[in-house]
Amino acid sequence: MNRHVKLMIAAGIGLAVVAGGTAYAFVAQGGDAAAAQLRATGLVGEQADGYLGLVGSASAEVRAQVDAINIQRRAYYTDLASRRGATIEEVAAATACQIFAGRVGPNQFYRLPDGVWRRRNGSEPVPRPGHCG
Amino acid sequence: MTATSLTRKGGDASRWTMDRIGTALLAAAAPVLLGGCVQVTAPDRPIVIDLNINIRQEVVVRLQEDVRELIERNPGVF
Repeated sequence: MNRHVKLMIAAGIGLAVVAGGTAYAFVAQGGDAAAAQLRATGLVGEQADGYLGLVGSASAEVRAQVDAINIQRRAYYTDLASRRGATIEEVAAATACQIFAGRVGPNQFYRLPDGVWRRRNGSEPVPRPGHCG
Repeated sequence: MTATSLTRKGGDASRWTMDRIGTALLAAAAPVLLGGCVQVTAPDRPIVIDLNINIRQEVVVRLQEDVRELIERNPGVF
């Protein structure tokens, strides 16, 4: 591996670390609306499994922010699951029901278990995932 | 005349031999008797697990309040 290649790899890693670091700060400071901001960009949508997903391709920074939020969500789901005798997947899916009902803004993206990204039609209600009862 | 295996073991040489034959037969027949056929080749399609099947609806209902609280307390994350 010549010096040039090594330099490129080091730069790539450095960039990823910086992106990850700023993403963590973005979420940890309670970016008071970190998830809402991401949904509003149109690059990120809510999934029926309780996590954020990328609608198309996105920059490393956006990906890092999405990852940071999903990690945070999983921590909350894990906590609630252990307290209430449910699996993490169930808590996550149950949360998705309410996220779909109340947090996906007009014209924002969501994805049901069929995996297809859809856009909320203005202020029409978002369809309720099957497991929500 | 030297003793052969048929006459070597104690007086009851035939029993000893039959025991050995019986054991050998059992060892050979065991896989067939136990009915286990081991498939060594991997399946040609990946195994797909659909996690959605494992969500109990009663859990979704039971957790409604807790989830509502969780979302309200952490607006930045949800």
